[in-house]
Amino acid sequence: MENVIEVRDLEKSFQNQLALKKVSFQVRKGETIGFLGPSGSGKTTTIKILTAQLHATAGEVKVFGEPIAKLKDPIYMKRIGILTDNSGLYERLSIYDNLALYCDLYEVDKKRINEVLTTVNLIEESKKIVQKLSKGMKQRVTLARAMLHKPDLLFLDEPTSALDPVNTMHIHQGLKKLNEEGTTIFLTTHDMQEAETICDRVAFLHNGEISLIDTPENIKTQQSTSSISLLLRNNRKVVVQKDEAGAKEIYNYIKDGEIVTIHSDEPTLGDVFVKLTGRKLS
Amino acid sequence: MIFSFKRVNAIFIKDWKDLQRNSYILFTLAIPLVFAAMLGRMNAATDVLSTYPINLALIIAGAFIQAAMVAEEKEKNTLRGLLLSPASTLEILIGKSALSGLMTILVIIGSIIFSGYTVPSLPLFSLSTLLGLVFYLATGTILGLLSRTVMETSIIGMPVLIIFGMSSMFKPMVENATLINIIELLPNEQLNQIWFGLSDGKGAADILMNLFILFLWVAVSFILTIVIYKKRRFD
Ligand SMILES: Nc1ncnc2c1ncn2[C@@H]1O[C@H](COP(=O)(O)OP(=O)(O)OP(=O)(O)O)[C@@H](O)[C@H]1O
Ligand SMILES: [Mg+2]
Repeated sequence: MENVIEVRDLEKSFQNQLALKKVSFQVRKGETIGFLGPSGSGKTTTIKILTAQLHATAGEVKVFGEPIAKLKDPIYMKRIGILTDNSGLYERLSIYDNLALYCDLYEVDKKRINEVLTTVNLIEESKKIVQKLSKGMKQRVTLARAMLHKPDLLFLDEPTSALDPVNTMHIHQGLKKLNEEGTTIFLTTHDMQEAETICDRVAFLHNGEISLIDTPENIKTQQSTSSISLLLRNNRKVVVQKDEAGAKEIYNYIKDGEIVTIHSDEPTLGDVFVKLTGRKLS
Repeated sequence: MIFSFKRVNAIFIKDWKDLQRNSYILFTLAIPLVFAAMLGRMNAATDVLSTYPINLALIIAGAFIQAAMVAEEKEKNTLRGLLLSPASTLEILIGKSALSGLMTILVIIGSIIFSGYTVPSLPLFSLSTLLGLVFYLATGTILGLLSRTVMETSIIGMPVLIIFGMSSMFKPMVENATLINIIELLPNEQLNQIWFGLSDGKGAADILMNLFILFLWVAVSFILTIVIYKKRRFD
């Protein structure tokens, strides 16, 4: 399958501090990949290098099969959408006028504005001046702007960090739809739930190194324990093993009508992350 | 490279809508006009000060407003969005200069009317003024790119204001011959020499050298703008 991003032995140092160490990974066409890591782990640095906003110190980076220097060509910039912490909006203009400028820059029909505003749940506010918007609303406008031209490749640096659960869900649906229409998505987050909901694969970034990269399911099953938790009547909790003795025990509890809930002890992505790195995500 | 007028126009329209809510810039644009009106009242339109309103309009509207507008794009992180869009360097630079360019021309026309200055030979006057305009817009763009905030432009811009804005006034006080020669090569001096020459009835042939020097200033400032601009893509 075609790789949209190929990174080999990428290194980045600021002054004498190493922010990325020998990072290698590929992103396949059509997938949604999430970089998960605590603050300062190098997520933004990775995105900035991939979008040619920062020079790499060492290593090879290819996007659309081309070395990163070629990305400055307008033909490539048209295929990329970017949302980072330095994506600013024109504060004195309305939401609509901000997006209208980008429609012309990317040669997109202005009809698309209403579509993206529906996706980010801002259609009612389109005439509002950006200055008067809340932080989460501004984040949704920048997100709308990044997907305006249905890019082949979309970079999102913590796209939902300032959003409430309802809007986050809205955005996730929008991103899934865009992905189904063919957009490859590279996003960073420290939200486990987000990674599990929309990412085909996740990479754990820790101190500038990728410690694991796989599908959320694989990560969880490979690290899963062999126990099952039972909640019995009178709020008693019991843990049994996944073996014959455990099965008999569960059988007896069910027969006696004791069981309230039953579930296998799957770790969350967060648990795995802590286990692998000894560090919490946020 | 394909040059898209649509993209240039989009940036211009965006700046135009922004200007209507930007009281700082609207206020600044009025300064040269007020000065021109004062000069007109003093009936000073014929002496050495007569061309000063035009110079002031070029510096304030051409360079300072342009610097503030570019610096604001940096301060608010909007320049990065333009840089990362399919718009080319030339499209962005021209689009970003279009509004201040137009405003400067309007302020110059206003200043001429208010101060009562008589325009000598309209074609040659316009040609020289337009060359001057490109130089000042490029200088403003450079100032804006070098500043991190709008506030900073007024600090970084101070030497520019003194050199290009006041050197003509200082010149009579300077005794050092080399320094006088240098001052006389400055674009504002070249413009003055052209305008006074034209008023004295000189023709195209007499001001050719001045136009050529002015053109060199334009070329140098233009190249410098592109070089500095290209560096801004990276953090
Ligand atoms: N411009 C810079 N100059 C110096 N050091 C930098 C610069 N940018 C990032 N760093 C350092 O590189 C490391 C990685 O930073 P980065 O911004 O990529 O982290 P992050 O994973 O995006 O964190 P967060 O979740 O807080 O956004 C940090 O130690 C940071 O201090
Ligand atoms: Mg970050």
